[in-house]
Amino acid sequence: MIKLENVTKVYPGGTVAAKDVNLEIAKGEFVFLVGASGSGKSTLLRLMMREEPPTNGDIWIAGKHASQLPSWKIPYLRRSIGTVFQDFKLLPTRTVYENVAFAMEVTGKHRSIIRNQVPQVLKLVGLSDKADRLPRQLSGGEQQRVAVARAFVNRPLILLADEPTGNLDPATSVGIMRILDRISRTGTTVVMATHDHAIVDAMQRRVVELDRGRISRDESHGIYETRQEDSVPGPALDEIEDETAIADTVDDVEEELEATVDEATKAALATAIEDDADEELDDDIDEISEEGSEDEGDA
Amino acid sequence: MTSLTYMFKEAFNNLGRNALVVLGAILAVFISLTLTFGTLVFGEIVRVNTLQWAEDVRVIAFLQDDMTAEATADLQNEVASWPQVSDVFYVSKQAAFEEAQVLFSNDEAMLRVLDENPDLLPASLRVQPADPEDYDLIVIRLESTPGVEKVESAGDAIDAMIALRDGLQIMFWLLAVALGVAAVALIANTIHMAIYARREEIEIMQLVGASNWFVRTPFLIEGALEGLIGGALAVTFIVVAQQLAVDRLSELPDWINLAIQNDFILRQGALVLLFGVAAGLVGSSLSLAVHRTLRS
Repeated sequence: MIKLENVTKVYPGGTVAAKDVNLEIAKGEFVFLVGASGSGKSTLLRLMMREEPPTNGDIWIAGKHASQLPSWKIPYLRRSIGTVFQDFKLLPTRTVYENVAFAMEVTGKHRSIIRNQVPQVLKLVGLSDKADRLPRQLSGGEQQRVAVARAFVNRPLILLADEPTGNLDPATSVGIMRILDRISRTGTTVVMATHDHAIVDAMQRRVVELDRGRISRDESHGIYETRQEDSVPGPALDEIEDETAIADTVDDVEEELEATVDEATKAALATAIEDDADEELDDDIDEISEEGSEDEGDA
Repeated sequence: MTSLTYMFKEAFNNLGRNALVVLGAILAVFISLTLTFGTLVFGEIVRVNTLQWAEDVRVIAFLQDDMTAEATADLQNEVASWPQVSDVFYVSKQAAFEEAQVLFSNDEAMLRVLDENPDLLPASLRVQPADPEDYDLIVIRLESTPGVEKVESAGDAIDAMIALRDGLQIMFWLLAVALGVAAVALIANTIHMAIYARREEIEIMQLVGASNWFVRTPFLIEGALEGLIGGALAVTFIVVAQQLAVDRLSELPDWINLAIQNDFILRQGALVLLFGVAAGLVGSSLSLAVHRTLRS
């Protein structure tokens, strides 16, 4: 699904953000990109979404030779990629519904498809009852869920997330991770750059560590490893890390969190997962994914 | 279809969002195109009027009274053979007298003088130049021709009018070009601000895979609309001003005709509108080209 071959990225100032990176990510994989600030995580994501071309090397995304793609074709590549960022990137003057619908409007989807899909995706992220709110009337976690809904509404093959939990507290982060986990289980490839030890350690997924632009570690069931100097774990996080090292999925993290975090965080967690009646949601995702593949058939 | 309505909606929203800047751009297009269209219309009025004169223009060579009919006929043939001359008429003393009676029909003193001296007016050759601007050559040549008493011409008035037209046109065109550049720059600036105001939206559009033309077209439409509105105002202004001039200046001498034909207005007006739209498109394209993220 994603393949990088000898990819090097040198910025005009001479900064080497990626050096001889070879990386292959299969369909449906969930991969964490970890590493210190400036290690090149974001650059790798930007190269994958073809925000910028590599200086050297080849990149294949969803079957397309992304590094050789003429610029006018980039928008069509982007339609197979969903993106989520630390700062949400929502339009402040548009409602939750409009923000999600925007991603479909600007790619020319028919109104009836939009009217059908947006409510489903909002239900998936648990924001059905807040469709008419503006972003500023939502909590950070809710805003990020809107961003995830927008990234997923066009049913992308790949979801790229750059520090999606970077602005969120641990309990809220868990809510976001639950959604990303479900999206990944529908067969969507998820690549997520993060500093969040607790999440990486809890999810036990593939971990690719970057060090000054090079891949220094690639483990299929990795943990974050806490030797990075820039990590400043708070007391609650310490406990989480210790106690969730064996957690299989985020669902387990929730239990662990509930056992360890204080009352306030627990409340926040409760809110975050309030509307998530698990089975119902999984059904929704299956349903949406089926329709998504039908759409692709049409295109 | 859905996306086309979307893009027009966006373009109109943008016009409203930066009302003041948009007004500036439209005014610049308006002034520049008013000058352009005004120059065209003025040029047309001058052309129509000089054309009338050109048909009537006569260099008049008054002949000496002692010319024989034969010498007169020879002279007429000779003048007619000059390359600058398209036609020559002979006006006899009798014809000149009748013409003067008509010409001075409301000047009794003059009529009395004429009645007392029917031979007062000399016979003359009326010369029609091939090119109205060449009348002076004919005048010089006639003056040195034997048998010619005196040469008069109506060419000075034409010269003055053509000089005025040329002078004004050069000035107007220069102004129109300068203001046209200003209009394009102002439209570019308006679009620049519209892009800046919507940069978050554009970033998101590009992230979710909106095609380049989908991102750019609303701005191109916005620029074209500004040009079109400015151009429409300019055409309206000139047409109204020309109509007012025709109505108000009815006491002008008969030989000045301010009316212009409708098909000229339609043809040139459409051109001016097109020019406004083109200026708008150029302005917005310039602005889009400056924004690195919007370049293709």
